[in-house]
Amino acid sequence: MKSASVHLNLLKDTERLSSSPVRLRVMMPVVALFACLGMALWWAILFTQILMIRAEAQTIDEDVKAKSNAHAEAISRQDQVREMRQQLEQLTYYRNSVRALGKPLAKLAEVMPLKVQLTELSFAPPPFDPPPKPGQKVSPFAPLTNVETQRFVIAGRTTRETPVVALMESLESTNFVTLITRDKRVKSFRQDANAEKGKRRLLTFEVEYTMPERRFAK
Amino acid sequence: MKIQLTRTKTIEIGGKSKSTSRSKVDLTGVELFSGESRGAPAIRLLRRKEDWHILAAGFVPPPNGELPQRWEDTPHQPIWELPRNFQAPSAALAVNSEMSSFGQASAEAIVREMAQGLGDAKPKSHAAISPRLSLKTPQKKSEDAPPPVTPNRKPTIPPPGIPVSENGRRFVVKPFAEQGFHLAASLPEFQALWLGRLLPEGHRPTASSLQVAESALMASPLLQPAFTDAKGNLLVVFVRRDAIYFAGYRKGEPVLWRRCPGVKGYEAMRDAIGKALGVEDDLINDILEDALVDPRPALEPFLHPVLQQLDLARAYLAGKHAMETNAALLLGLPHGAGHWCHAAEDSIKMKLMPAHPFDGLSLAKGVEDSEAHHYLVALGAAIAAAEVET
Repeated sequence: MKSASVHLNLLKDTERLSSSPVRLRVMMPVVALFACLGMALWWAILFTQILMIRAEAQTIDEDVKAKSNAHAEAISRQDQVREMRQQLEQLTYYRNSVRALGKPLAKLAEVMPLKVQLTELSFAPPPFDPPPKPGQKVSPFAPLTNVETQRFVIAGRTTRETPVVALMESLESTNFVTLITRDKRVKSFRQDANAEKGKRRLLTFEVEYTMPERRFAK
Repeated sequence: MKIQLTRTKTIEIGGKSKSTSRSKVDLTGVELFSGESRGAPAIRLLRRKEDWHILAAGFVPPPNGELPQRWEDTPHQPIWELPRNFQAPSAALAVNSEMSSFGQASAEAIVREMAQGLGDAKPKSHAAISPRLSLKTPQKKSEDAPPPVTPNRKPTIPPPGIPVSENGRRFVVKPFAEQGFHLAASLPEFQALWLGRLLPEGHRPTASSLQVAESALMASPLLQPAFTDAKGNLLVVFVRRDAIYFAGYRKGEPVLWRRCPGVKGYEAMRDAIGKALGVEDDLINDILEDALVDPRPALEPFLHPVLQQLDLARAYLAGKHAMETNAALLLGLPHGAGHWCHAAEDSIKMKLMPAHPFDGLSLAKGVEDSEAHHYLVALGAAIAAAEVET
């Protein structure tokens, strides 16, 4: 049966009340208020977090900037240190490569035969290094090669051949190992063309020794 | 949920409401201001699937206060609580008010009534009830009535089932199955507001329906087996304490509502018997039920106009709706139904079928059905409200 057709309800929908002890009309605003408060709190937390993160990001940014400057300076210093170390190393190489010629030369006087007059003691310069290739990095302080070979030239006058031979033997003794090696070459041994007539005949000689290798190393 | 946007426009949101999916309905129907000294008749009705149960029936203490008769009385709002066994989730209130109106009417008559508003309210006893217009006719203004309302616009017929307030009265209408006619009910706005606030929020029950008593009465036979057997095509005679009504239904839809003019209810019948036979009031019931004394001579003057009007109602149904009604359901008569049946059979060749108001309903333990006619309005209010709650 259709009682809806005879149900003439004079009560308006807005007047219908809930019998539930939990009143929706009261609870809804409360729930809505709590929801709004929750949302506001959440937004506040979010906003605070955003502010904190922004501040932190700014701090990190400034820190990065400061550290990048310091880092660049450190890198620059490191470069300087490395360069100075290289210079120091080169200086060490040079120091290690210094020839102590004073003592052998002093001893040279002791072994010099009486019949020999030295006219020249010279160290021939090493042969020129070839020019560096284009684009090749060359240290301004370092030699192109680590090993340098010089020649020691002894020139003088004598009356006979024997004193020269004696001198050569003396030089080849152990006292002059820092000065010369056994590698030698008699460049000339001849009569002195500049001798005055009537005077005793003199011979000139010129002997070239290969000096020990000069090493630019530790 | 229906929301009224304007006087004529309503929208429904949310599709089916939560209540429409419920298979169980539990509500209390209460008849207010019935004149019964024992209290307000109340029924607690439970519908579980297709079974209807009466969980409780009885008289409950009435609200502490009289139904307001003017706007000035409404601030005195009592709070009413029902006894524990009637505390269903919701309640359907059926009110007997001298200032209410109920009946079938044309749209024009309803609009006219709405335009008149409360300014022309008058006691119901003076209302002229006609098959076409059962609303009140203009009468002398009451001194208690609020200042007359002069409508500045013409009211329109309200949407079906939506209560609207107009000129100090609240109206609700439902279109009849018969084209052009409506079933209309109205109450003064202050009475509707007062009744709506009677049951407080947060306590069981709260009002879900507010009906005038006649409206509730019209829904009371809907669960009767005879009504179902007749497939809703039935003429019903309602006998109340102070009035007799005829209602016609076709396929379950109302097509006739008519108050029997010039005839009061069964109290008048008892008075007539008492005067005619010279017996005390407590003997009248025995006379009506037993065959020791024949009350028909005393009943005949009372029944004659009733049966004439019943015959007219039958003729109306036959002529207007092509309904051949040789039988009518008799509801609400506490005693003497047998004499009514004989009289109807003899005078208008109509079979009257006395029915118990609780027929078709299962009763819970402890529910008394001896005075069920008192609960007819409360039951009708609950049935009408329960049907729309499901």
